[in-house]
Amino acid sequence: MRPEDAEGAKPAIAVAGLAAGRGRMPAFRDVTFTVPPASLTVLVGPNGAGKTTLFEALLGLLRPQAGSVRILGRAPREARRYVGLVPQSARLAHEHQLAGREFVAAAFRARRLGLPLARRETALAVGEALAAVEAQDLADRRLGTLSGGQRRRLLFAQALVNRPEILLMDEPLAELDPAAQRTVVGLAARLRDRFGLTIVFSTHDVNPLIGIAERVLYLAGGRGVIGPIEEVVTGEVLTKLYGVPMEVFEARGRRFVVQDDAVMAAAPEEVAAAR
Amino acid sequence: MNWPDFLALGFMRNAFATGTAVAIAGSLVGYFVVLRRQTFTAHALGNIGFAGAAGAQLVGFSPLGGLVVTTLAAAVWLTFVGARLSERDLGVGMLLMLALGLGVLFLNIYSANANAALGILFGSVLGIGERQMWVAIGVSVLVVVLLAILFRPLRIVTINEDFARAHGVPVELVTLAFMLTLALSIAVAVPVIGALLTFAIFVGPPAAAQAWTRRVGTGLALSVVLAVVQVWLGLLASYYVDYPATTWIAGLSFAVYLASRIGRPMGAAA
Ligand SMILES: Nc1ncnc2c1ncn2[C@@H]1O[C@H](COP(=O)(O)OP(=O)(O)OP(=O)(O)O)[C@@H](O)[C@H]1O
Ligand SMILES: [Mg+2]
Repeated sequence: MRPEDAEGAKPAIAVAGLAAGRGRMPAFRDVTFTVPPASLTVLVGPNGAGKTTLFEALLGLLRPQAGSVRILGRAPREARRYVGLVPQSARLAHEHQLAGREFVAAAFRARRLGLPLARRETALAVGEALAAVEAQDLADRRLGTLSGGQRRRLLFAQALVNRPEILLMDEPLAELDPAAQRTVVGLAARLRDRFGLTIVFSTHDVNPLIGIAERVLYLAGGRGVIGPIEEVVTGEVLTKLYGVPMEVFEARGRRFVVQDDAVMAAAPEEVAAAR
Repeated sequence: MNWPDFLALGFMRNAFATGTAVAIAGSLVGYFVVLRRQTFTAHALGNIGFAGAAGAQLVGFSPLGGLVVTTLAAAVWLTFVGARLSERDLGVGMLLMLALGLGVLFLNIYSANANAALGILFGSVLGIGERQMWVAIGVSVLVVVLLAILFRPLRIVTINEDFARAHGVPVELVTLAFMLTLALSIAVAVPVIGALLTFAIFVGPPAAAQAWTRRVGTGLALSVVLAVVQVWLGLLASYYVDYPATTWIAGLSFAVYLASRIGRPMGAAA
């Protein structure tokens, strides 16, 4: 760990008064938050709230319409090599016949021109990235033969192969079953704890992250609020956020978020089991 | 020099040299064509080039020059207009249609062209002159160098475009550069294999290679070996059995394709 990573150190991500959008109109404005190093932040917000847009601003792909973004104290474009992204809509070609390790290796120093002659270095980086997400068994599998969850792991490994300090994950839980969701969340937590990675994780389902993420950033109606989970994840806030009745309740010492009609439909044991 | 029997004649030596150069460059580019699922684009570029060659001949320019210019222009057009994947085949097909319509017009105006047109459509590897040989070798070397320079950005754009974009790889620029490289290699391959048969070099060998190996490096190497062997065997066969070389090469390419589909490793253990 670097010395400045200690408590109260300078933030990994500092966003102040940010307005950003892909069109002329910003998707959100006046968003201010900081993310400390080696932490896990959940980003929630309904479809179209600007989660992906925020990630693009953090990556320096979008110029802020107002406000500022600092990544590790630098401008986003200069911090690119410290940031990894697991994109939301990875059109991971299903018929690809390539091995998992080729998929990950392709991302290693991919902006450089010329042939990748540093084979040993590449193999090392790929091996580390696969190990970090426990996907060594996928190294020699053809992409076309993998399940959705396995592909997610490779995407995860791909984002790690350049050894970033910050990892942005855009809805990595989408399309995963509860067990696979848990695995992905567990891996993210481990990366934070073991390697000091700073992670921002967007999702529509906060349940798997309760008790693991330190804070929640929610975006809605063009605004953003950040806070500890206990404050943000309340029925009132979530109902406003998604525009459908949501309820938060505690059972067996844990919090659960449920859409209201689902609470009606499911017996408590079932809700708990669904976790 | 003491040439083996089949290389005793100058035109056979030209054919072997040109065929080898075109096979190497074409199969390397073709590896990415197959990976990017742009086989229809590759096919169309050759035929658009045919129209360009016919047009050039009509106005008294070199057909090879016409081929190069039109394939390059088509590559630029397809990169920017047919860029969206969902519309790609449509965009390619419509341009191809327009080009072929013009090609027929050019032949109609100047029917003495018909024989030359046949050579462009089906290839005339045994009719390649010394100058054309050197052009083909030079362009093929250029294509290989361009691919080597582009390799890493092109690989990530091909494998995961969203990731590439997010990490600052200039996706459009890389795509354009690749399309121009493809156009160049198609332009010099057309006189060898024929505008209608570019699949024999650009698609057959790389597709088989991708079925047989999971690694990029091995796949590229295997793709080159298959393409070169096909061309050599095709030329030899046409020397000893007097059928067109194109026929032999196409037949061999199909055989390799069949073998790769039948002997394809299946399932998880693949
Ligand atoms: N190219 C574009 N031009 C103009 N507006 C756009 C463009 N792309 C997206 N938007 C708008 O920007 C807003 C934010 O979109 P964004 O993709 O960031 O939302 P999101 O929170 O990631 O949504 P989701 O949960 O569906 O992924 C949306 O209202 C969307 O319609
Ligand atoms: Mg999104």
